[in-house]
Amino acid sequence: MKAKAAMIMETPVHPISKEGTQPPAASIVGISKRFGKTSVLENISFDVAEGEALVLLGASGSGKTTILRIIAGLEQPYTGKVILQGKDVTELPARERGVGVIFQAYALFPKMTVERNIGYGLKIRKRRRKEIKEKVKELLSLVQLEEHRKKYPSQLSGGQQQRVAIARTLAYDPEVLLFDEPFGALDAQTRVHLRREIRALLKKVNVPAIFITHDQEEALELGDRIAVINVGHIEQIGTPADVYNKPATEYVATFLGAANIMDGVVRGGQVEVGSARIPLPAGAHEFSEGAIVKLIFRPEDVLLGKTQELPAGLGCLSAGIIEETSFVGAYERLRIRLERSGNSGDLGDTPFYLTTETPESQSAKPIIATRPKPETLSTSLRIGDRVFLGLTSFTILPKESRTKKGLAE
Amino acid sequence: MSTMIPTMRHVRGFDVARPLSIGMLVLMMLPLVFLPLASIFWFGTLDGLGSFWAALNAPEAIFALKLSMVTSFWATVFNVLFGLFAAYVLSRYNFWGRNALIVTISLPTAIPTAVAGFALLLVWGPYGLLGRFLQPHGIQLMFTAGAIILANIFVTFPLAFGVIKPVFDTMSRSLEEASATIGATRWQTFWHVTLPSLRGAIVSGALLTFARAVGEFGSTILVSGNLAGRTQTAPLYIFAKFNEGQIEAANAIAIVLALFSFLIFSVLFFARDWLDVD
Repeated sequence: MKAKAAMIMETPVHPISKEGTQPPAASIVGISKRFGKTSVLENISFDVAEGEALVLLGASGSGKTTILRIIAGLEQPYTGKVILQGKDVTELPARERGVGVIFQAYALFPKMTVERNIGYGLKIRKRRRKEIKEKVKELLSLVQLEEHRKKYPSQLSGGQQQRVAIARTLAYDPEVLLFDEPFGALDAQTRVHLRREIRALLKKVNVPAIFITHDQEEALELGDRIAVINVGHIEQIGTPADVYNKPATEYVATFLGAANIMDGVVRGGQVEVGSARIPLPAGAHEFSEGAIVKLIFRPEDVLLGKTQELPAGLGCLSAGIIEETSFVGAYERLRIRLERSGNSGDLGDTPFYLTTETPESQSAKPIIATRPKPETLSTSLRIGDRVFLGLTSFTILPKESRTKKGLAE
Repeated sequence: MSTMIPTMRHVRGFDVARPLSIGMLVLMMLPLVFLPLASIFWFGTLDGLGSFWAALNAPEAIFALKLSMVTSFWATVFNVLFGLFAAYVLSRYNFWGRNALIVTISLPTAIPTAVAGFALLLVWGPYGLLGRFLQPHGIQLMFTAGAIILANIFVTFPLAFGVIKPVFDTMSRSLEEASATIGATRWQTFWHVTLPSLRGAIVSGALLTFARAVGEFGSTILVSGNLAGRTQTAPLYIFAKFNEGQIEAANAIAIVLALFSFLIFSVLFFARDWLDVD
């Protein structure tokens, strides 16, 4: 067992790659997990490429921590495989996997100095003292903690502790780094600073990393790709821009940033939302005539005008009355109650739009829009003003079957 | 002047309750604790240090002290190791009957020591539950140093466990998990990560056990046979000499035992930062 572990440590064996396609550094294949009768993960699969940072984003209780623990070997999956550098490690105990875990509270050994914490992995592997010393020195300078090397973890700040935790895992050249809510214990300012630092550090050492977080801002900034996890399954996986701009599900749209959601009906290749007709974007789902769909758009995608004439190419969605304006620093946020009038003739008495998800069912729920500062300066809008709304960007999704959602909850 | 007093009180923070209550506390402790302790030293050295040394150097006295130390030492070694093991099992695993075990481990200190000694005789004595099977083989456990160790183990059973268990309970599991993901075996993790965090609890648990074992009387007198120069521990020696009217001899050993306990509890108190227990 020991020899095997040592082998994967020193020379990661890459399976022969076909025509230069690099194999993924880590693959998770069809993982599911149950605790007793409760299913917490369902068929989770994803790859992490060499040097890539993947963020598992989800609310607490979504199962993201369990995924991390399964990769680390601290938890056994019910079905599925964990493959690191082409090697199936599903059956291996945590200590033979060679993964680096940065625990939520860092889990530094309190009775060891910074130096000894970092050297622990090599000491366990019975490396020569001289070799350990050199490696520790190298890592101390990498994470810029040379002057703190004799200190104990309790004498360090949160950020410093985190750097020790990272250096401690880098010492034994891990196959993959796993970060469990790495910034949860830090204040907002340190958080922003540290995640940039870690991002730079990861690019430097070129080790693939999996982060788990519930913070969407963190996910967007840290990840090369983001996997949005909801009650045990992956809703969507893609680059931050993809996931943000083209949410695959309503959950993704609302969890990652704010989103307005309206119901519409597909008629003649267009989506009718109240009196407005919105062309189905190219490459959208195939919808049958009369299908009920969801129109999803972000507050910053709403263009407001005082007249019905909106910039070229933008159809007018509706008119509405401003109910509330609030200043949120970088931009202005407006709550607009859409008018229910303006039914198109052929829809008869259909209300402006249907919201079946809220108690305000069948009544118009307000739309949230944001405007950048320059715009607020040039045209000021007040409560009670009537405005016309256009959309610069939007997503059309099929209306989710309620049974699926019901099951999940 | 009348306006001066409140001002002064305020500025100097003088509060009559303070010296009064401190004085009261000391006064209450005087007959209860200070005087008995002081009298040991007072009477023990009344005839000068010479007779004190002479009493201490009596072969039986030296033997009694040595026997107390040795039997307490082995009882401590056993109970610390056992306490570590029991604390590990009982804080790491949840199983049916776990709470019953915890209560049972804690029970021996609540049992009168004479009862403890009696119970041991019923098990290991010549006609005891287990003793009757050992007797034909010429194995006689009672009325030997071994019996004293057994009695010491019994009466100090939960002390080390009681100090170590809470540390185990509060120790973050992620430390051990971190060690495992770094590549350590269970044993390496225990040695390098778990044990150092328990250092303080182990030392203070050991000191408590030892201090308690050295002073054990009730169970020892039943199981040891109280044979001078063979199975007589220091507390038994004090009792025996007192009964024989040799107050000086009893007093000399009493001084040693009192100083010894004082030393142990000073270490526990003043080294608690190092031991990181409070």
